[in-house]
Amino acid sequence: MKWRNVLWVAVFTLPVIFILALGFGHDPHEVPSVLPGKLAPNCQLTDLQGKPTSIVAYRGKPVVINFWSTWCVPCEAEHGVLQQAAQNFGERAQFLGVVYQDEAQNAERYLKRKGSTYPQLIDPSSRCAIDYGVAGVPESFFVDPNGIVADKHVGPIGPADLARAVNSMLPRGTP
Amino acid sequence: MMSPTALLLAVLLQVGAPTPPEAQAQEAFTIGKMLRCPVCQGMPIAESPSPMAQDMMARVRSMLAEGQSREAILGYFVERYGEWVLLEPTAKGINWGLWILPGVALVVGLGFVARTFKRQKPIESAAAPTAANASDTLKAIRDEVEL
Repeated sequence: MKWRNVLWVAVFTLPVIFILALGFGHDPHEVPSVLPGKLAPNCQLTDLQGKPTSIVAYRGKPVVINFWSTWCVPCEAEHGVLQQAAQNFGERAQFLGVVYQDEAQNAERYLKRKGSTYPQLIDPSSRCAIDYGVAGVPESFFVDPNGIVADKHVGPIGPADLARAVNSMLPRGTP
Repeated sequence: MMSPTALLLAVLLQVGAPTPPEAQAQEAFTIGKMLRCPVCQGMPIAESPSPMAQDMMARVRSMLAEGQSREAILGYFVERYGEWVLLEPTAKGINWGLWILPGVALVVGLGFVARTFKRQKPIESAAAPTAANASDTLKAIRDEVEL
């Protein structure tokens, strides 16, 4: 009789423990990305001088799209890593900065101070950020030469991860 | 009294008429209550003061103004943020478990409680002292003390 009770308790508690274990295994603040493997959304953006441009204009080589902002502290740490990588990859990859929830003037001042080696684009009304499912900054998207999102990185990216992500999108045999 | 032709015309005009702004605002709010703010903690975009949530609400309003349906708008956000963006998960696939399990747990729980009560009642009634039993016991104690 007692064993039967134990069995009943086990039948009801084990699934609960399993569900809780699944829940605790995830970061509740992590926003899952559904974009990798899909065609990258083509946002209509403007450069810091107000000239319209779009992401599709850069198709044909690996593109790194970095969402950042001047008020974001981790973005500052990442800035140097991105600038260095953009210089190292040169013509083999295209780096793009998309200014998130910020003003063009703030971005211009910031970039004048910190330096910039690749195009920086303004995203009015966060339309591009919403299209990419951005949930905070910094976030980086890696778009392959065919325009497919290969990967996404949340938070400041390190030089090794950045190089690995870009290299994985380069055609084989590229030095 | 309206003639049938006039009535038909009025109905047709009503069908083609744009949604009134109040109804559209209400619909935007309803949709906004279904969507999770990505930069907040479990808060719908309709109630969040964050600029990102407000931009998402603006997107909802502009899509409604374009004549898009609620399903299309929710689908647009799910395509970008996944099912995570829905505060109420859709009843499909593994999500069915979330809808069914609480009901199953409630039924099983109630069944368990009912079964336990059913078992305990006869024991309690057998063990409960009746007036006759109590007086017999008292009489036995008195007899023993007096002896």
